[in-house]
Amino acid sequence: MLKIVVPMAVSILATEFVQAQTEIIGNVDSKCIIVSETPGVYGNPNPYQLTTATTSGGVQPIIRFDVLAADYYKAVIEHPVSFSSAPTLDDVVTWTGDVEVSEVSDTDMSTYDSDKIEYDNAHEYQMTVAGSTWFKISSVADYGYNKSFPAGQYTAVVEAECIPL
Amino acid sequence: MHSSLIKTIILLFVSGSLEAHELTPTYPELRSSYVTGVVSAKLKMWNARMDVNYFKIEVNDADWNPVPFITNERLFKLRYGQRREIEIFLPIDTSATYICTKSMLDKEKMQRTVISSKVCSKIK
Repeated sequence: MLKIVVPMAVSILATEFVQAQTEIIGNVDSKCIIVSETPGVYGNPNPYQLTTATTSGGVQPIIRFDVLAADYYKAVIEHPVSFSSAPTLDDVVTWTGDVEVSEVSDTDMSTYDSDKIEYDNAHEYQMTVAGSTWFKISSVADYGYNKSFPAGQYTAVVEAECIPL
Repeated sequence: MHSSLIKTIILLFVSGSLEAHELTPTYPELRSSYVTGVVSAKLKMWNARMDVNYFKIEVNDADWNPVPFITNERLFKLRYGQRREIEIFLPIDTSATYICTKSMLDKEKMQRTVISSKVCSKIK
């Protein structure tokens, strides 16, 4: 009798050891990720103008903000007001630009544009809904009074900041 | 609500393959350090921006004025896909409120706009 019971008991115990579970533990915490989806390109439709407008051969930069929890962050996006690199310019450059929401992962984000706060070249959005928001930036630089930009390479920086509330 | 959270989590995992910049935790705590009168905060940074290899640490008060701090490297190299632990040392009576990491951009050779990203954490 023992010859049967003992191996069975050992077998059951061994099975229990084999079936011991391994846990994978993870925490979902608030966080913000800035994703640079599309770097913009300036088109040069007129000698005196550089623009990201697609109708003028430009590409609008697109930035995505992912926030995991609502009401933890604000997004601040600044369109350019100077070149970070450019040939020597001896006249004034007039800058215009805008930031707008281009896509959302949650329909509750549809009020972001109407609720945003604007100051100088900054556009401030309260991230009141968890999820992803895509922002499209437009930028136009006009040189002098219809004066031709000198030939060369021009680069401007879009600042994207994610700040906890 | 539940499906929205799942979508968000999926998006956050998917974002790993894109050009992303992350700093956690959102609200780091100041803890006493091994030096008397000095506190420290630990953060983690992740770089998934292929176009950025260098980042700068900034520490500011509630009005965004810079405040003194000590860290291993204020300007550091972090390649694409790498993570880094950041430890900031501050005087115990510090007015520091925000700890931020900012991308440092290379000069480009095109007529283009480049995106500078800055992610901050707030000391509670």
